[in-house]
Amino acid sequence: MSRSAVNRCMLAVAGLVLLVGGVLLLAGGFDLYGRIGLGMPSWWPLGTPGRPVVSTASRTRWTDRAWWWPTVIGVLVLLVAGVLWWFFAQLRRSGPSTVDLPVPQGSGVALRLRRRALAEAVETETLALPEVARARVQLTGDRRGALLRAVVRLRASGAPDELVERFHTGPLANARTSLGLPDLPVDLRIRGAAPRRKSAPEPPRVL
Amino acid sequence: MTAESPDAAPRPSRGRRPRAPRTAGAALIAVVVLVVGGGLLYDVIAVRTGHPARRWRAELAHQLAARHLDDIRVRIGAGGAVLFGLWFCWLAFVPGLRRWLPLRRPGTVIDRAGVAALIAARARELPGVDAVAVRVRRSGTRVTVSGAADPAGVQRELRAAIARVPLAGPHQLDVRVRRSSVPER
Repeated sequence: MSRSAVNRCMLAVAGLVLLVGGVLLLAGGFDLYGRIGLGMPSWWPLGTPGRPVVSTASRTRWTDRAWWWPTVIGVLVLLVAGVLWWFFAQLRRSGPSTVDLPVPQGSGVALRLRRRALAEAVETETLALPEVARARVQLTGDRRGALLRAVVRLRASGAPDELVERFHTGPLANARTSLGLPDLPVDLRIRGAAPRRKSAPEPPRVL
Repeated sequence: MTAESPDAAPRPSRGRRPRAPRTAGAALIAVVVLVVGGGLLYDVIAVRTGHPARRWRAELAHQLAARHLDDIRVRIGAGGAVLFGLWFCWLAFVPGLRRWLPLRRPGTVIDRAGVAALIAARARELPGVDAVAVRVRRSGTRVTVSGAADPAGVQRELRAAIARVPLAGPHQLDVRVRRSSVPER
């Protein structure tokens, strides 16, 4: 499961818990069940406006059972451990620093390429394309989950269709050949030139 | 991550939008759960090992038992919970990254400000154009040109300019030419 999917699941679970809890509290507080003539069973604690939010009786209902405190502590431990796992998953680097390159069978050689080196090579080639003002390239993931991420700033006189074609036939094709990954997925983001055009360079500051 | 898994990438996914990773929202929830859960865990274990409960937990239990459902604070709190719940669900299910428009090549996007800069730069080069205002929305672009330019010519040139941006989805171009006898500014 990708990081985005985990984050979105967390948001969905928290949102649904808050939404359902808030709606149930509001329905009890404004006596919704009484107004629409829906008789809630008497065991439902949030049925009428006069009920407390969490009565002492419901809070201490199971405190004398043997399973109650181990369950509470276990659930809290799981919750805290899950959140700590999430934090460390954010800090973890997104893969090893090198990528294995394919070598001929039986040569007995292991060939590794630093991801940073490949990213810099692609960056240099991208910067050499016409009308490109800036480029930032990253290679993430291991060999199976490799992804090339590029953010390219295009000058206002450039053409995005030409840039996309040139990037695919030039830097990206070379990276795919170098890695031996013909289907290396790419995440290319094209940005425009900075919107403000400075009419003249700033004069040097003299102290 | 906006990445598609490698085996899903070759699928011809025209107009597939990138999805925001939602790190900030998840971090907010993580911090709240960590503080509340950790504090509660600490106090429950302290009580189980013979220490008295902390003031905040006794006070919280007392307030929850004393306040009724029609109490104004309970209603405000419940309303806030509903609003936060709706917001989190919105964040969870909506793709986000509205500033990026997908291009025809899978995995390629361009930002709306970039499209606006390209169109504005092209429009400024046209003869008889004094001022240009470009607004790029997700569904279309509105260009307002003021000057003595020929509307049909401006429209034709800008249509050619936006055709050079290989957008994945349908995109409308709306060009308006305003006559300005006095040049603006």
